[in-house]
Amino acid sequence: MGPLIPQEIIGADWNLFIAFVIGIGFGFVLEQAGFSSSRKLAGMFYGYDTVVLKVFFTGAITAMLGLLFFSLFGWIDLNLIYVNPTFLGSAIVGGIIMGAGFIVGGFCPGTSFSAAAIGKIDGMVFIGGLFIGVFFFAEGYPLIEDFYMSGSMGPIKVSEVLGISGGVVTLLIIIAALIMFKLGELAEKRWPRAEY
Amino acid sequence: MKTSYMNPYLAGVLLGLVLLMAFFFSGRGLGASGAVKSVMVAAVDIVAPEHTANSHFYSKYVGEGKEPMEAWLVFEMMGVLVGGFLSGAFSGRLNWRIEHFPGITAKRRLVFAGMGGILFGFGSQLGRGCTSGSALTGMASLSVAGFVSMMAIFGTAFALAFFVRKNWI
Amino acid sequence: MNLRNIIFIALVLLGVVIAMVPENTTKPYKLTAEQMLIEVQGAAEMVIADDVAHWLISKDPSLQLIDVRTPDEYQKFHLEGSLNIPLSTILSSENRDYVDQGLKMNVLYSNGTIGSHQAWMILRQLGFENNYVLQGGLNYWFDTIMNPQAPSVTSADEEFAKYDFRKAASGVFGGGNAVTITAPTANEAEKPRVIRKTKKKAPAGGC
Repeated sequence: MGPLIPQEIIGADWNLFIAFVIGIGFGFVLEQAGFSSSRKLAGMFYGYDTVVLKVFFTGAITAMLGLLFFSLFGWIDLNLIYVNPTFLGSAIVGGIIMGAGFIVGGFCPGTSFSAAAIGKIDGMVFIGGLFIGVFFFAEGYPLIEDFYMSGSMGPIKVSEVLGISGGVVTLLIIIAALIMFKLGELAEKRWPRAEY
Repeated sequence: MKTSYMNPYLAGVLLGLVLLMAFFFSGRGLGASGAVKSVMVAAVDIVAPEHTANSHFYSKYVGEGKEPMEAWLVFEMMGVLVGGFLSGAFSGRLNWRIEHFPGITAKRRLVFAGMGGILFGFGSQLGRGCTSGSALTGMASLSVAGFVSMMAIFGTAFALAFFVRKNWI
Repeated sequence: MNLRNIIFIALVLLGVVIAMVPENTTKPYKLTAEQMLIEVQGAAEMVIADDVAHWLISKDPSLQLIDVRTPDEYQKFHLEGSLNIPLSTILSSENRDYVDQGLKMNVLYSNGTIGSHQAWMILRQLGFENNYVLQGGLNYWFDTIMNPQAPSVTSADEEFAKYDFRKAASGVFGGGNAVTITAPTANEAEKPRVIRKTKKKAPAGGC
């Protein structure tokens, strides 16, 4: 039956309202997890706080499991779920630039909004920077359009590349994540920080 | 008033459920940078409509029948501001402040936050989505792009952490 | 036991379960058994060979013939302009745009009508519109269109009209009894209406 709006079980008029409600949930969870604090986020990269790793991977795994189980029960048609297309070159270079932005600015876009929501000035400045960065991209687009569109592989899935079922991929990721969580917890003990 | 943060694993499960609901209702995942793009495009379209009509980039989003501000992500990010505010109010974390490592000045923190934002804004457009839109959502749908983004973002941040350590530790 | 361990154990257990069960690749059926029974009894999915011949000759742009036989059989002979979508690949995602669309009238055919009907049943149950079956299949096509038999002298006039048309059509399609082509005089065959599909947006997303 799901996804409800693409299947026209709920009218498309509701889509933006649902986006707003889902956004509230998203913002609430981000803030509760501590993602409104750039020092907590940056702690990931110095080992003193690995909350990013824990929340990010637990979230991705929960959603993965949810999608597969929903599909198994016939609650959702995975063919109608958006899978972001892979453009290998631009994904890697874009990711590298984002990684640099992450460690320099201490936020990613979603977390900067949740920081700004509770009055963090640095979060607001980061958002200002986002607008400038997007503007640079838009104005420079003619120069990078060829690279941006190159290496298109379509909306491929890891399970298709590896030739194993999505369930097995998920189990492997869960095992990898638990190992990383353990390492993260060890790192927090190894490089402890006072409360900030 | 409780002020401590939620158990990270519980927060992760809740985040996953929010993402799952986005898939279940709208057939798509979460995102953030796309909303910035929509607002920016809409603003440029008001200031310089001729420029947007002629540009390969802007013309994808503006023009006949296209409303950049009526984008799913714009409404979702408005929700994020509300949700973040509610959470801050609930946990007593609402106040105007510049959070920074005591070893650096507030001004330095803001300069770096702005620079990071510019990089992230640019990178998110090149990489077709940020940590939420590409990495988190992409991983949940097992998309190759999601895993590539995730590894590129976190790998680079780890690699560069040493050079900006004075800002954080 | 603390929350962290509970979550860890739950994730691993669910992960093991999801890794063990086969993936759900079924596509949900949209029509109930009762609805299908009504459809089948109505036989509205059938189009007769003469009509198809007529549309082919007039190069009707909305006609799309689909050959559901194997590629080998398709290689040996197929109707002009037909696509080969073997029954075994009818559900594959590459063919989705052909069988689930709102612009053309798909006419499925096989040698008889079993293969084409099998394909039609599956497509119809998935809720796809605009798919039809060539009545009699290729066998009947050969008997009537390619090698028409002259009606007996006592037949009604319309039988002769039909025969003339078939003979002419046979010439167009390169059949045995090539004669000078008289413009087909058969009445404009009533064509099943193509049901316009509100083009469902491809799932959107991304930043």
